[in-house]
Amino acid sequence: MSGTPPDRPAARLSDRCRRGLAAVALALAVLVAAAGCTGPVRSDGVYASKAAATAAAAASAVQTARLAVQEAVDGRLFGRTLAQTLAEAASDAGDAQTTFDAIQPPDGRADVLRDQLDGLLTPAVSALEDLRIAARRGDVAQLPSLAAPLPRLSDKLEQVQKAHR
Amino acid sequence: MRKLLEIALGILTAIGGFVDIGDLVASTETGARFGLGLAWVLLVGVVGIVIYAEMAGRVASVSGRAVFDLVRERLGAGAGLLNLAASFFITLLTLAAEIGGVALSLQLATSVNYLLFVPVVGFLVWLVCWRVRFELMDNAVGLLGLALIVVAVAVWRAHPDWGAMLHSATHPVVPTTESHAAYWYFAIALLGSAMTPYEVFFFSSGAVEQRWTRSDLLVNRLNVYIGFPLGGLLALALMVAAALVLEPLGIDPSHLSQAALPTSLVLGRLGLALALLGFFACTFGASLETALSCGYSIAQYFGWQWGKFVKPAQAPRFQLAVLVSIALGVGLVLTTLDPVQITEYAIVLSAAALPLTYLPLLIVANDPAYLGGKVNSRLSNAIASLFLVVLVLASVATIPLMIASKAGGG
Amino acid sequence: MARRLDAALELLDRQLVDKDGRLAGKVDDLELTDPGDGLEQPRVTAILTGPDALAGRLHTRFGRWLQGVVLRLLARQGPARVPLEQVQAIGSSIELRVAAGRLDTGQGWARRLIGRLPGAGEGDAAQ
Repeated sequence: MSGTPPDRPAARLSDRCRRGLAAVALALAVLVAAAGCTGPVRSDGVYASKAAATAAAAASAVQTARLAVQEAVDGRLFGRTLAQTLAEAASDAGDAQTTFDAIQPPDGRADVLRDQLDGLLTPAVSALEDLRIAARRGDVAQLPSLAAPLPRLSDKLEQVQKAHR
Repeated sequence: MRKLLEIALGILTAIGGFVDIGDLVASTETGARFGLGLAWVLLVGVVGIVIYAEMAGRVASVSGRAVFDLVRERLGAGAGLLNLAASFFITLLTLAAEIGGVALSLQLATSVNYLLFVPVVGFLVWLVCWRVRFELMDNAVGLLGLALIVVAVAVWRAHPDWGAMLHSATHPVVPTTESHAAYWYFAIALLGSAMTPYEVFFFSSGAVEQRWTRSDLLVNRLNVYIGFPLGGLLALALMVAAALVLEPLGIDPSHLSQAALPTSLVLGRLGLALALLGFFACTFGASLETALSCGYSIAQYFGWQWGKFVKPAQAPRFQLAVLVSIALGVGLVLTTLDPVQITEYAIVLSAAALPLTYLPLLIVANDPAYLGGKVNSRLSNAIASLFLVVLVLASVATIPLMIASKAGGG
Repeated sequence: MARRLDAALELLDRQLVDKDGRLAGKVDDLELTDPGDGLEQPRVTAILTGPDALAGRLHTRFGRWLQGVVLRLLARQGPARVPLEQVQAIGSSIELRVAAGRLDTGQGWARRLIGRLPGAGEGDAAQ
């Protein structure tokens, strides 16, 4: 037999209020989940902004690799940390390209943009992969030559990003 | 003399223990994306945590009870349980993020896949919680965490344009590459990273563990008023380092490796080694704190015997709660969800849940039944209440901003 | 010396402390006994503690679920009962005259699990 306590200042919510809150919470949860989703793209403008975001992500990975290589050549990084950094940059660029290529371009103009961006992403990913492999082998001497295409690629990627923001 | 050493140790531990994976991720990312445009949020966060941590320490010292212990008494069983559920979930998420952070630090140093480290880290965290004396644990990780000072040194040695930096910090501008929604979303995330809820549970429970009394009130205040702001300076150093090196290059950091690059650029391998040690120490320390906080909050709600100050067999349900929490945290990281992503969600949800933690604390700190003559002064109440209003606003704005900015991606 | 207390405010959800200073749960519920003569109000005759006592107060689906799960898990017959006579003092926490071990609050299983791990200190100090 339990005694029910009298109403306290920190009162319980009524059942209806609670159900309403639960519904709101569920709706919010769905919205938040949807916010993270990528779906098919209908308009040119949305495709362009996705291209810009991809270019930004790839540029970020390329610049990370450039900085890491520069530091490694100057003897400022441990071999393992360099290898890890380059591996992450390579996988970031690769993921950016995979995600972007999976999006269906809505029209002809988008096709052109896609080709242009892929023309930058593919060599970038390839160069980063080569750098990753060389770093894993501890081959610091090779790094500058493998990193040679990166400055031009990052400039172009940044141009794409600015053009379609 | 001995008292002086004690105070110094307390302050140093507070500095070294301030930064955790949330601060690491939030400060580095906001520095790289917004320059110093969000530095003011760090200032606000540090002031907030200083005010409330002092309250938590005072409550524990004078009443001998920890904050969560008193939450149920003040809010009632139902509201207290809701508070427990939310706080526990967020602290658990943070625990997973911290364990992930330790594993990532080890991965960065050894290039071995972080997933392999996760179970080992989980076991080590549990072992330290189980066996190592509270003071020793607290002091050791706090002092090791001081290695992060290297980031501040790197910023200093980089000879930045201090005038320009001060100007951009005091005249925040949203960069053209970012949306306003993203700016405010990251403001909330940064606030959540500085004012983590678990800090209050841990700080007050720790005060009870160490048997603080009224005579320790001064030490408490010194630790908090000096140690925490200096610790906040370390978080600021991370932000500045990212703003100086990563932002001009357009690097958007999503890995710990990118957070270390500015320090190694300026200070070379020695700087890198200290930064890695600092990353490891602060995430490991925070893993211990969050694991214990998970145990503290559950045990204190149900009134079970808790604490490391008794033998484990005398606080079995508390120890079990800690053990299960660590296991759950390890499990979450082993799902291969990116620990940096887990961290981002943890700090944003922390920000949304801040009023839940701080309102009961404010209520308790004003109750003469617990604090006698040491209740809040009118001034501290005014400031604390103002903060609470800000926290409620931030809390309400969190989900809409998360949607509007696509969780910071847009 | 008699004191008037607001049971809800000053008894419910308070920390129970046993005679050795150990923490022994919270006041999860109160046992009220009707004196039966229809004139007097029901009197508080005991403090109830334990997950099922708490679950009974939660008045929600969660509370009822907790009650079902917990009872099955702990296989006990109801909340631990502390008669009011065993209360030593009522202050910011409720001090008892008995040892925590005498209260069957279902922590035996936890102690058995934890006690098995090395370094638990199970052998020290009978509890």
